[in-house]
Amino acid sequence: MILIDKLSYRSKLRYVNASEKLMYAVLTLILCILSHSVRVAALVFVINGILTVGKGGIPLSRYVKLLMIPLAFLIVGTAAIVVNVSKVPLDAFAFRLGEWYITGSMAGIYRALELCATALSAVTCLYFLSLNTVMTDILDALRKLHFPSLLIELMLLIYRFIFVLFQTASAITVSQQARLGNRDFKTRIRSFGAMGSELFILALKRSNVLYDAMESRCYDGNIRVLTRMQPPRAGEIAAIAAIELILVLVWICG
Amino acid sequence: MKREEDWVIEALDVSYTYDGNDERALDGLNLKIRRGTKVAFMGGNGSGKSTFFLCLNGIRRPDTGKIRIDGKAIEYTRKGLLEVRGRVGIVFQEPDDQLFSASVYEEISFGILNLGADEETARSEVESVIEELEITPFQDRPAHALSGGQKKQVAIADILVMHPEVMILDEPAAALDPKHTKKVQQIVDHLTEKGITVLMATHDIDYAYAWADEIILMHEGKVIRQGTPFDVCSDRAALKTASLEVPAVLRIHQRLKEKGLIPEDAVPPGSVDELVESL
Repeated sequence: MILIDKLSYRSKLRYVNASEKLMYAVLTLILCILSHSVRVAALVFVINGILTVGKGGIPLSRYVKLLMIPLAFLIVGTAAIVVNVSKVPLDAFAFRLGEWYITGSMAGIYRALELCATALSAVTCLYFLSLNTVMTDILDALRKLHFPSLLIELMLLIYRFIFVLFQTASAITVSQQARLGNRDFKTRIRSFGAMGSELFILALKRSNVLYDAMESRCYDGNIRVLTRMQPPRAGEIAAIAAIELILVLVWICG
Repeated sequence: MKREEDWVIEALDVSYTYDGNDERALDGLNLKIRRGTKVAFMGGNGSGKSTFFLCLNGIRRPDTGKIRIDGKAIEYTRKGLLEVRGRVGIVFQEPDDQLFSASVYEEISFGILNLGADEETARSEVESVIEELEITPFQDRPAHALSGGQKKQVAIADILVMHPEVMILDEPAAALDPKHTKKVQQIVDHLTEKGITVLMATHDIDYAYAWADEIILMHEGKVIRQGTPFDVCSDRAALKTASLEVPAVLRIHQRLKEKGLIPEDAVPPGSVDELVESL
């Protein structure tokens, strides 16, 4: 997660209007899921790869590694569709176990592939958004879409304080290690628990001070901030429209 | 006719106790501060500096006593607090406690929008303060990727954008390297040039002696000594109560006088530079 955050600040597409990127990612994601088509999924996978690695300048090795994470879950998840236990052998494969067969059908395999492809392409849409858009820009875009401000404010604070708490947690871990806090399994468990409770108390204290600091700047319950959104470009919007149109055509004609 | 004394802050018998504590954090504190001066607050941890600062812009309300800003007692109403917080700004000691947004630009715009500025004014103010405090090179980086010194610069910009009359800095140089300490000191000098009254908590007596117009020594929620740096630092007993040393420059000056290397009636130096110059 912190890796994605770092990469997003270095992306060459960072300064493209965030609403455009959000629109593109969400529309493509919806098309992917609705179409259930392997062709659409493959096309989306390729386009997002080109956009993220080619245009965005995210290193290919990083991108591939990131894609491996959901792939592992997908393989485990779709195995359940492919593998059946039944008394009658199916057409794809069958292993006999006494009176029963561990077996699978061609339809099942095809369905699993379709699911894998759709899900993986859907993930590339989200990766495109999160690898090329910094979090604060996503929040701006949501604000423009009139998302509930309470949710946006919570996301704003959570995003900021994940890093603060993470830093505190790693400082505590280091100091525990310096005192042999992870000598064996038992001490490791105990150290981890101690860190958790300490972190909780620190978080409470921090939130009190933060509230004071915000109040001293006339906080009245609503976080109002100015944002610096890049203006949308006609060319980019046209490109997005073209991609979506092609996807719809592939879906309908395919 | 101008008033004889232009007090920007007056505290009269201010006492404050935190919920659930027996001791008073502030115990009958009295002080007055002139407009446009540089004041160093010194005293050990728990001497009440930070609590007093929070009282100055109405975050904490004294149990007894009164605080006047610009000759007007703080009113604890929505409007009154808004006014006082626009006049008195606090830069917190730990920037991570103050910066709530990961975006530098959003962060700085918060205070001025709360004061009711329209978007256009706010935008130009934010941009000018970013330039003024030399934040431009890292304005597009997220808060968690900034160094301690850069975070401190943003924290000061947070307040400066609100154009306060009084700016409070709670140990601004804590945990900074010499380079960034110097940078913060330059910013502080810049604030004074703009006519802002600067109150600073610090543990560095040598810096306070050279920088401040007045030093205020605090101990157990009271002011034990207030005066010019030379007066305060000549009061050994008060320094001892506050667990502070005599500034190095004064000790050297004293010793040089005893050795007869400088005349008995030599003017005490205001800083190390002045002492070196006079030799």
